[in-house]
Amino acid sequence: MKYKYWLACMAQMAENIGTGKVEKLFRFAGSAGVLYDMSEKEFMQIPGITEADVKSVLTYKKAWNLEEAWENLKRSGLYLVTREDENYPKRLLYINKPPYGIFYKGSLPPEDKKSIAIVGARRCSEYGRYYAKHLAELAVKAGCIIISGLAAGIDGAAHSGAMAAEGETYAVMGCGADYCYPRQNQSLYQTMTQKGGILSEYMPQTKPLGKLFPQRNRLISGLSDVVVVIEAKERSGSLITADFALEQGKDIYALPGRVGDVLSGGCNRLIRQGAGIIVSPEEWFKDLEIDLANIVVSNAFSKKVLEKDEGVVYSVLDLQPKSAQQILEETKLPVDRMCEILLTLENAGFIKEVYKNYYIKIHE
Amino acid sequence: MYSIVSTAIVRGIESIPIRVEADVTDGMPVFEMVGFLSAEVREARERVRTALKNCGYRLPPKRITINLSPAYVRKCGSSFDLPVAVAVLAAMGIIPKDRLEQLLIVGEVGLDGRIKPIHGVLPIVTKAAQERMDACMVPVENAKEAALVKGIRLFGVNTLEEVIKGFNDEIKFWEPEKEEIGHEKKVKRKEVPDFSEINGQQFVKRACEIAVSGRHNLLMIGPPGAGKTMIARRIPGILPEMTEDEALEVTKIYSVRGLLTESEAWMAERPFRNPHHTITPQGLAGGGMVPGPGEISLAHHGVLFLDELAEFRRETLEILRQPMEEHCVKLARLAGNYEFPSDFMLVAAMNPCRCGYYPDLNRCHCTKGMVEQYLKKISQPLLDRIDICVETKRVEYQDLIKENPHQETSAEIRKRVVAAMERQQQRFAGTNIRYNSRIPAALLTKYCRLSTKQKQYMESIYQKLELTARSYHRILRVARTIADMDGSDEILTRHLSEAVCYRNVDKKFWEG
Repeated sequence: MKYKYWLACMAQMAENIGTGKVEKLFRFAGSAGVLYDMSEKEFMQIPGITEADVKSVLTYKKAWNLEEAWENLKRSGLYLVTREDENYPKRLLYINKPPYGIFYKGSLPPEDKKSIAIVGARRCSEYGRYYAKHLAELAVKAGCIIISGLAAGIDGAAHSGAMAAEGETYAVMGCGADYCYPRQNQSLYQTMTQKGGILSEYMPQTKPLGKLFPQRNRLISGLSDVVVVIEAKERSGSLITADFALEQGKDIYALPGRVGDVLSGGCNRLIRQGAGIIVSPEEWFKDLEIDLANIVVSNAFSKKVLEKDEGVVYSVLDLQPKSAQQILEETKLPVDRMCEILLTLENAGFIKEVYKNYYIKIHE
Repeated sequence: MYSIVSTAIVRGIESIPIRVEADVTDGMPVFEMVGFLSAEVREARERVRTALKNCGYRLPPKRITINLSPAYVRKCGSSFDLPVAVAVLAAMGIIPKDRLEQLLIVGEVGLDGRIKPIHGVLPIVTKAAQERMDACMVPVENAKEAALVKGIRLFGVNTLEEVIKGFNDEIKFWEPEKEEIGHEKKVKRKEVPDFSEINGQQFVKRACEIAVSGRHNLLMIGPPGAGKTMIARRIPGILPEMTEDEALEVTKIYSVRGLLTESEAWMAERPFRNPHHTITPQGLAGGGMVPGPGEISLAHHGVLFLDELAEFRRETLEILRQPMEEHCVKLARLAGNYEFPSDFMLVAAMNPCRCGYYPDLNRCHCTKGMVEQYLKKISQPLLDRIDICVETKRVEYQDLIKENPHQETSAEIRKRVVAAMERQQQRFAGTNIRYNSRIPAALLTKYCRLSTKQKQYMESIYQKLELTARSYHRILRVARTIADMDGSDEILTRHLSEAVCYRNVDKKFWEG
């Protein structure tokens, strides 16, 4: 196990050695233990490994204190799973440059459940937040698991949607798995260690660095069967995930946005390029061949229970935040009446005030 | 030869009587002034000497001593020139001493003998009238302001020569006519912007009306170009007209700051002050070595408008806390404590984020963290003193050009405000509460009683919106005002729900 830890950290610690070279080393040796004890001569026989690489590996080996490092890992409370282990996620075996080891908290994603990745912008609108949550919730109820990146915005919404339905959800981190980034998602992080898991290919205590995130995106797509992109700009990390997903042969779906809506520009382009379009949750699940029939949708809401004026106010709202002044203009109601209705609807959970006097509807 | 002249200085917005004693005796020729004087008072000596010479009176080569008593009060300001000159002349025997009894004199003297206006004439004359003096002698430019005070004779003087001749009965002093407060209003009313000039924006207008009716402080949050400033400027116009006492109090403050002009000798309209956000704490609250009133005192009985609230320095805003509680500013200085009234209505405006367009994500480029950071610039204690918070929407072009047949005028709104205020006065008769916004938390159950049904309603709202005790209290006060506007003794559900819509953004909300 100590050797495994040594090898799992090599990609990060040894100079000029990346995941690809670690893969070559591992394939040649077959186990970390064998590799550790190999001589310089033996190393030289490995195809694709240069003299400089060998030197770098040996330097790393010298600097690495097996015992001490092992103690540190134990103390961090993280588990390590490697290519040598039975429970290494099978899905990752088929991607380009699979990581040798994965550190995790909680559990690993089960192989037998359909795995759906939901990714998107950190800075998202209520529209995106709502659908990320809603789709995750439905998917979990249908027996899927949700994978995402624990970022603010869409990622967080997807995780919390899965949690709301008491399902398993997994986050792949761009930092050490023992490090909650961003801080604001601390409670999601905690819950996930109980139900679901936090995964990372980076060694414990790794700080969240910008350059690490694009690489971790290949794991998000790699661990999933279907990738859903919600609210991505024309240039965004979510599109990197989509590229990886394409390369790995996963199904890609995108939630469409309005033309000209900056936040959905990337999504709309994905659709143009042939990604699946999510027209409605029901149709999407049909596409995925997931049966929604047995799922009780907690949408016990019907417009019939609303009074006339309430219906009027409700119908002018959508998922784009609308200001009280605008509602007033569109409904032509007196101010006090409108306030009363807004509050009644909010109290009943039909609408939500997302910013000072800006409202959205929260049920379809 | 010895003589005494009465004069006064201003401290805060009150005046303290001062006596100028002059003595001319044989001895070394010297002109000496004593009595805890500041530099500008000491300089009176040179001005008086030269002015007298230019009027044709040479000081005799004798020992002249001037004492300003009481000696423990620090004397400052330029109003001592004229009393000193008169005292010297009286001691020289040029002015008959008996004419100086029961006469208060103030004024600055120029080298040519011209008498110049001073700051704070109104509090000085008011005090003189209270002390039952017979008459006041003031510079001509200050005469109109001084004429607001009843029960005292006034002499407006223009030159030192005129003063000397007047005392010797060669000419008669000019006595300005008494001004009637409210008189000027009939003649010409200052151009006050009117609410009818604002198209649409009913939501904010309604919030303004409520805020004014219960004298609640108001915060407007909206993007640039939403007309926040425009609306704020119109708020004084829907406040009820000032009573005579209130107008006098405001005029006193402006008098002390020297902001009254001859054409506008007194404050007929409620003040509207909008200091720029670079203002210092001293500028806002009042200060200086000899403290003068700051912006919050200048907004007394009127509106203090703080535009771009989030851009104000934090320590500047923190200063507002005590005055907003006690409705006066207390400044302590070595020379004594100063108190300025500052009973103002706070109207503040701010952008929702640094760029101003949140939550329109197509235009706003702020990250969530940046939005939070921006909003957090306003401290919670300050927010706790703002009852009503309202969104303002950007004005669309269509709204701008739309010809609206009838927009309510400020006068119409004011009528309703006055009615709501009358209800409050009846309710609070016999207490020292004047407005709903001033109901102490302990008395809320008495004045804002809710029926069982309303209690249940509020309970569910409280849970659902995760209100805090403070915000709950604020909602009750605002609901009381809305009920008053509605002419209802009971607070109904619709009053409560409207009040909830105006609730202030609290900590939880900031973190949203």
